[in-house]
Amino acid sequence: MNMQEMVQIVAIIRLELRKNFLSRRVIWVYVLAFAPVLLYIANSIYAPREQARLAAIAARHPVAAADLSSLKNGDSLDDIIKKLGEPYEQHTGRRRVEGGRTNERAWYRYTDGQSDVSLMFVNGVLRRLERDDPETLPLISAIFATIFRFYYLRLAVFFGCVGIFTNLFRGEMLDKSLHFYLLTPMRREVLLAGKYLSGLIATGVIFVSSTALQWVAMLWQFKSAEVAAFLAAQGWSHLFAYLGVTLLACAGYGAIFMAAGLVFRNPVVPAAIVLLWESANLFLPVALKKLSLIFYLQSLSPVVAAPDNSMPPQLMLLISEAAPTPSLVALGCLFIVTTVVIVYSALRARNLEINYSVD
Amino acid sequence: MSDGDISFDNVSRFYGEVLGVNRVTLNIPPGITSLVGPNGSGKTTLMNLMTGLVRPTRGTIEVLGLAPTDSQRLFRQVGYSTQFDSFPKGITGFEFIYSFLRLFGYSSEESKKLAAQAIDQVHLGEAAERQIAGYSKGMRQRIKLAQAIAHDPKVLVLDEPLNGLDPLVRAETIALFRKFAGEGRHVIVSSHVLHEVDLISDQVILLSSGYVVAEGQIHSLRSEIQEHPMQILIRCDRPGALASRVFEQDHVVEAQLLADRSGLVVKTRDADKFYRMLNHLALDGIKIEGVAPVDDNVNSVYEYLIGGEEASK
Repeated sequence: MNMQEMVQIVAIIRLELRKNFLSRRVIWVYVLAFAPVLLYIANSIYAPREQARLAAIAARHPVAAADLSSLKNGDSLDDIIKKLGEPYEQHTGRRRVEGGRTNERAWYRYTDGQSDVSLMFVNGVLRRLERDDPETLPLISAIFATIFRFYYLRLAVFFGCVGIFTNLFRGEMLDKSLHFYLLTPMRREVLLAGKYLSGLIATGVIFVSSTALQWVAMLWQFKSAEVAAFLAAQGWSHLFAYLGVTLLACAGYGAIFMAAGLVFRNPVVPAAIVLLWESANLFLPVALKKLSLIFYLQSLSPVVAAPDNSMPPQLMLLISEAAPTPSLVALGCLFIVTTVVIVYSALRARNLEINYSVD
Repeated sequence: MSDGDISFDNVSRFYGEVLGVNRVTLNIPPGITSLVGPNGSGKTTLMNLMTGLVRPTRGTIEVLGLAPTDSQRLFRQVGYSTQFDSFPKGITGFEFIYSFLRLFGYSSEESKKLAAQAIDQVHLGEAAERQIAGYSKGMRQRIKLAQAIAHDPKVLVLDEPLNGLDPLVRAETIALFRKFAGEGRHVIVSSHVLHEVDLISDQVILLSSGYVVAEGQIHSLRSEIQEHPMQILIRCDRPGALASRVFEQDHVVEAQLLADRSGLVVKTRDADKFYRMLNHLALDGIKIEGVAPVDDNVNSVYEYLIGGEEASK
């Protein structure tokens, strides 16, 4: 690639970036990317208020943390009241069960100012205990890992790349403006490189900045000393790893969807197939897992998120968790897949014709 | 044929089962060449073939000695204003020309200068900083033309370039084509408007259903159509006397007096001989006020060769 081709690539990027960032087609990409930021902001506003509310309640209904921790299913209501005193909130009710009998049910809530504990009694015996502990950095870091794996990579970045990269060529064919590029003294490979880089810059800026903002929003509720200690211990390395994984996801999915936009008249079909494959990854045998991008992206993530606990047990049985691939291998595999797909796209672009009526 | 021409050698292009053009062999010299034919006759396909936007199914094409696939060299010589009335979104006329000049590898300063020059040539200076989305149809045609000429190409390919232009701008645009052709460049124009083709063309290529029906200078093409004798209108003071004199010539097949007795229309198989004879008659005392060919134009050539039915499409 010579100097002139570099200038051409920069010129293409200038033209494309405006479209990639500002066209109406990408509004929903912003929504997908920044929805988690809003979620973390909302949480950072809610969590301290909740803590203050619990602290105020605890001042009126003091309960020792150790007593609260000692509760277990099977304890009697009387013993618990003797140990903890009256709850700060309670409800009672009756429920008819088989044989015409009636169960007396009661719900009690206690707090030590930190944790909020809900207890359900049936006929005076503790049957269910739910504990809502205060958010800590390790806990919220694990929550982030789960959202990052199951929502952000698999849906937000994925569909963001569908929206931006498939339109690099297909969108211009629909708009009937691709020919302007083909009527310039430029190799098709240079056009492809320019368009790919413009897509990568756009998705990179949108999704990497969203990842960073999610961290800012997530940490906002904690005290600065606590945050500084977390960042110094593992936070910075985790953050940079997440940013890197986000960018790699944009590069990998971007290459695939740019090719889809070149090859298919309706890129939604290949996008749906890839989504199905990537989503099924959790359930695939180990050998097949390695034929997906999400496996390598997950391997590069600093925290391995566990599957969602709310998943039906039948589905949980089908999950096969594979050991993460070493980072260098994962990077190499992502690089190879991306390169192969881009080379294939370049070959297709070389023979690209303008026939908008067919397209 | 020379390296300075545009040549098609037995070129065919099919879109699946549909014929684009078939067995086209052509040589287009510098000057203004008009592609004439009804919708679907293959005009745009020919233009797309010579600019590499589509590839031939068979045959070879050369533009100034270059293959259309050699885009890096070809588009330094060729500018193409397509029929597509669409533009990159959200940019002004100036940005449009400037941005694509940058793709030619010009520096920012050069690109600005060339963009301004091209915009001036199509008289769009005042609208240059406005968004193209707000342009009228005529302005969009002109900005496309500016983009095609901005890099000073030797070959200009223009698909229906006069569509949507008002009469004044139309005249200015035709003058621009003439200027380009006068500088020894190729200007290839497709048009439905036959009287304009007549006005601007140095030669025409008549197309019908993907085939080249005729090519060459309009007068030569007309002369070669023997089954339709040339019609010439003569206005004179004694049309009856003139009619009897012209009937003495064996190449004259018909003479019809005008209803107002101000002249007559003569049909002849040899127009050159007829014009020579007319000079002698003038010397014999018949006062000839005007002579004009009636069907020595693209419209007639087109109608005789392709047929009135297609011409009206």
